[in-house]
Amino acid sequence: MSGSLLTQDKRTRARNAAEARFRSYGIVAIILALLALVWLLISILGNGLPAFRQTMLTFPVTLDAAVLDKADTRDPQALAKVTTITYGKLLSRALSAELAARGIDAGTLTDKDIGSLISEESAAQLRDKVLGDPGLIGSTITFQALATGRIDGYYKGRVTMETAAKDKNTSPEKLALADKMKDAGILAMRFNPGFILLPDASDKRPEAAGLGVAILGSAYMMIVVLLLSLPIGVAASLYLEEFAPRNRFTDLIEVNIANLAAVPSIVYGILGLSFFINFAGLPRSAPVVGGLVLVLMTLPRIIIPTRAALNAVPPSIRDAALGVGASRLQTVFHHVLPLAMPGILTGTIIGLAQALGETAPLLLIGMVAFVKDFPSAPPEGLFDPASALPVQIYNWTTRGDPGFVERASGAIIVLLVFLIIMNAAAIALRRRFERRW
Amino acid sequence: MDLERDVTTHTAKIEARNVQVYYGDNHALKDVDVDILDKTVTAFIGPSGCGKSTFLRCLNRMNDTIPSARVEGSIRLDGEDIYDPRVDPVQLRAKVGMVFQKPNPFPKSIYDNVAYGPKIHGLARNRAELDEVVETCLKKAALWGEVKDRLQSPGTGLSGGQQQRLCIARAIATSPEVLLMDEPCSALDPIATAQVEELIDELREQFSVVIVTHSMQQAARVSQRTAFFHLGHLVEYGETAQIFTNPKDPRTESYITGRIG
Repeated sequence: MSGSLLTQDKRTRARNAAEARFRSYGIVAIILALLALVWLLISILGNGLPAFRQTMLTFPVTLDAAVLDKADTRDPQALAKVTTITYGKLLSRALSAELAARGIDAGTLTDKDIGSLISEESAAQLRDKVLGDPGLIGSTITFQALATGRIDGYYKGRVTMETAAKDKNTSPEKLALADKMKDAGILAMRFNPGFILLPDASDKRPEAAGLGVAILGSAYMMIVVLLLSLPIGVAASLYLEEFAPRNRFTDLIEVNIANLAAVPSIVYGILGLSFFINFAGLPRSAPVVGGLVLVLMTLPRIIIPTRAALNAVPPSIRDAALGVGASRLQTVFHHVLPLAMPGILTGTIIGLAQALGETAPLLLIGMVAFVKDFPSAPPEGLFDPASALPVQIYNWTTRGDPGFVERASGAIIVLLVFLIIMNAAAIALRRRFERRW
Repeated sequence: MDLERDVTTHTAKIEARNVQVYYGDNHALKDVDVDILDKTVTAFIGPSGCGKSTFLRCLNRMNDTIPSARVEGSIRLDGEDIYDPRVDPVQLRAKVGMVFQKPNPFPKSIYDNVAYGPKIHGLARNRAELDEVVETCLKKAALWGEVKDRLQSPGTGLSGGQQQRLCIARAIATSPEVLLMDEPCSALDPIATAQVEELIDELREQFSVVIVTHSMQQAARVSQRTAFFHLGHLVEYGETAQIFTNPKDPRTESYITGRIG
């Protein structure tokens, strides 16, 4: 090579240009990925965060014994015969009375119209409260009622005076009255624990719909998945990696495990339907069935990273253990498994996180059903009908009332929070075990 | 020459007769007959791929872990065939310890590295006895002075030479009768090598040591008997001084003078 080192020759310039181009492609790719993430977060947070706040009406309600307990016996059976319609009327009258007392002019609106600002769910909530504590009858309590989805939507920007004029479920007069109540402090936006704690509600009552049953159902399924897939997956991996002879049969098993990981999840749903429900006779919509289906789906996803983690343990460690006279079992449990633990845990938690977000197989085994009652405590509760978080999201996006759009996005936030917690746990466990070398 | 004459009076610890080793279809070791003497250092030398490590790994059945490996012939330890179906390789390996080419301490503390063997074989009844075993073995391995203040720190944090001595301490902690060493100094610097060689010479008082080495100087320095392997055959076996000064086989002479290998 001749020429000065102080000037770049043509080849060097071309190579440097190629490197600069490649770097810029990389930066562009990262920017695109970040933009997609930001867009996702903005859209979900923007749509979903309002679900955690709800428009509530706070006013005194007199639980008149003459209405709620005509015989005045506090007999539970007699009390149970009083329907939510009676309680709805009671709430309407109480709100009208409060408006009159505060000097708010309801205009042409009747008591019934005023009552239609209150969610029908609130009447049921008041009834449950009274049935739970009949001693309340006769007293006056301060009750916090949910406003209907339309009123709630008005304060969240979904409903305007123009749309209300064409809407048979509400009217501009009702919105105007809501504004007056807001000024008087009767109506306010509050944090809504019901979104996490309450069960699902019917199509007409988005304001009362909550994730309680779905969260519990998902939790039950995760228990089943963890208890079954971790031991089975780790035992299978250990056997294949450390004990099994290498022959055609084990090769066949390996290929099949790799293939199973690639099987579309809805296929597992069909398998679950035909085997667990139709053949084994387990109940539909039950977390135990959902959990078993997810176990089938998660197993290859745990076995593959677990085998990789076991394979990554240096053979010199096995030699060392065998060399001092450890048996194969001792070699595996004293040396190989602890070293592979971080990898196994990470694989397991990521497998669980995938299972938590899985929807398709659960649709087929009936977890999409409308479930209003909480399942009981495990283990019996595993056989009670329940929903699941991703299925609940799917379910809400299919409903007509625009209030459910916000609910679905809010549920996505809850699901993402759970996934982030699980991934953080994976990282924390990894660190903890790695610190031990 | 007193030393060499002394050696011949030792009894045979391991008697190998007509040993053949196959890896699949590959006939790796052919017709090996050897008597390894008690309380003697025996060196295996030869070019790479000549079968010396293979034969070493036959002596504690480490070849069992290679699925395609097959061993024929008889290898007797104190007159008992170690390939008898009744023999559990785990018991055999407690009697025939091994030190590997690359230092491979467990990723545990220095103490746990040495204590592991005695623990799984139940050689110590309580913590005090275990402490004593660990101390004795580390002293025998000439490592005690360097690590006595940090027994709980990781064994993987030691230097290469210290790690290899830790592996030797670990191997002798199970009170073996034979110690196999597969090129124990190939990853070490000259100073660490000298320490390990000195250690091997001391270990000879209690154990029968078999060492595979690529360094003929090392074989000459540490061993009393030497076996030369070539292309899967045991070419020549005898007293070290004789092998290096007056080899009987022309192949041995070519190798030690540097013409093949």
